[in-house]
Amino acid sequence: MPTSILGPYTRTILTAAAIIGLLLFSFTYARVSVWIDVQPFFEWMETTWFGVIGKTWGAAFAVVEAVHLIGLALLGGSVIVGEGRILGLVLTDVPARTIINRADKVFFWALMTLLATGVFMACGVAMKIYYLPVYWYKMLALGTGILFHFCIRKPLLQRELEKINPWVTKAVAISSLMIWFTVAATGRWIGFSG
Amino acid sequence: MNEKNQNDAQIKDEQTSAILATSTIIIFFAVYWFFQIQSVRELLELAYG
Amino acid sequence: MLNELVYNFAVWLDDTRWSTMLHESYYMYNWVESTHVLTLMVSLGMLFLIDLRMLGYALPDVPASKIAERLGMPMLVGFTVMFITGISLFYAVPVRSAQSVWFRTKMVLLVVCAVNAYLFHNRMNASVSSWDNDARAPSRIRLGAGLSLGFWTIVVICGRFIAYDWFDCDYEQSAFIEFFAGCVDGQERF
Repeated sequence: MPTSILGPYTRTILTAAAIIGLLLFSFTYARVSVWIDVQPFFEWMETTWFGVIGKTWGAAFAVVEAVHLIGLALLGGSVIVGEGRILGLVLTDVPARTIINRADKVFFWALMTLLATGVFMACGVAMKIYYLPVYWYKMLALGTGILFHFCIRKPLLQRELEKINPWVTKAVAISSLMIWFTVAATGRWIGFSG
Repeated sequence: MNEKNQNDAQIKDEQTSAILATSTIIIFFAVYWFFQIQSVRELLELAYG
Repeated sequence: MLNELVYNFAVWLDDTRWSTMLHESYYMYNWVESTHVLTLMVSLGMLFLIDLRMLGYALPDVPASKIAERLGMPMLVGFTVMFITGISLFYAVPVRSAQSVWFRTKMVLLVVCAVNAYLFHNRMNASVSSWDNDARAPSRIRLGAGLSLGFWTIVVICGRFIAYDWFDCDYEQSAFIEFFAGCVDGQERF
C-alpha cells in the first residue's frame, strides 16, 4: 500500500488541521462573514418546491417532521446499541464486531432519512432558522458528528478490536453518544426558539 | 513483515487521531453544556427570583 | 354524556395549582416535552430495532430472541419515561388535549400497539426456538412487526399533529369532528 505524502501520521495531521480550522472558524469573524454570504442561499431555499410545500401545507411539514422523528428514533437506537456494546453495557454476549457492523448499517439509513427530511424542513422555514443561533449549533454538532463517525470512528473500528486500546474505543463511544445527544437536543430546542 | 509494520503504523495513526478528536469533543461539549446550564440557571433566577 | 364527563374532569385538572404552574412555567414544560420527544430514541429506537430484526433488515445474524430480550428492558424503561412525561404534558393542558382528535387517535393507537405487542410476544415465545437464528422471522411474526412499525409511525404523526389547531373545539367544526373531539355545547374552557 503506498504511503501518504504526510507520512505515517496522515490521519492525525488531518484531524488536527480540521480541529484547528473549525476552532478558528467558530471563534473568529470568519464565521460571521460566511453567515452573511449564505443568506442568499437561504432566501433561495424558501422559493424551492420543498420550501413552497412546507410553507403552504402545515400538514405536509408535520408529516415530514414526524418521519424525521422516526429517523431520530432509529439513529438513537443504533447509537445506543452500537456504543452500548463498545462500553460493555448492551448485548455483551454477542461479538462486538457483529453489533458494530450491523448497527452501523442502521445508523447510515437513519442518517440518510434525517438528512432528507431535515433538508425539506429547512427549506420550509429557511429564513427563520437562518437567524436562530441554536440552528447553527445543531449544524456544527451535526457536521462534527458526521465527520467523526465516517473519518475517525469507522476507520478505527474496522480494525481488529483486540489491537485497539480499550480506553480509546470507550472514548470514541462516549464522544459519539455526546455528539448525537447534542444534535438531538439542539434540534428539539429549535422548535422552542423563534 | 513490512505489511505488518505498515498495518501497525496505520492503527497507531488511527488511534492517535481518535484520541485527538475525542478529547476535543469531550472537552468542547462539556464546556458547551456547562455554559448552557449556567445560562438557564441565570434566566430562572431572573424569572423566579 | 361521556364527553361532558371527560370535559368536566379536564376542567377540574386544569384548575389544579400544579397544572397551571406547569403550563405557565418558564422552562419546565419545555423540558418535559423535550424529554418526551428525545426518549423516543430509547423506547422507539429499541422497538424499531426489534421489529426490523424480525423483518430481517437489522442485526440479522444475532438470534431474534436475544435481541427481543436484551433490548426489551431499555425499551420498557424508555416507555415508562414517555408515559410519565406524556401524563405530565396532558396534565399541563388537559382541556385542549382531551378534546384533541389527534390525542384521542394517539391514545386508541397506543392501546392497539399494546395489544399487538402482547400477541406478538406470545407468538414469538411459543415458536422462537425453531427460527431464532433465521435472518427473517416467520410470516405471522413479520406481520406483527410490520403492523407495529406502521402503528407507531402513526402514533408519532398524531403526536406531532396535536400542536395544530385545525380541529379544535373553539373553532367552527363539522358534526363528525365535534363528536370525535368530544366538544361540549356551550363550553367555556378550551
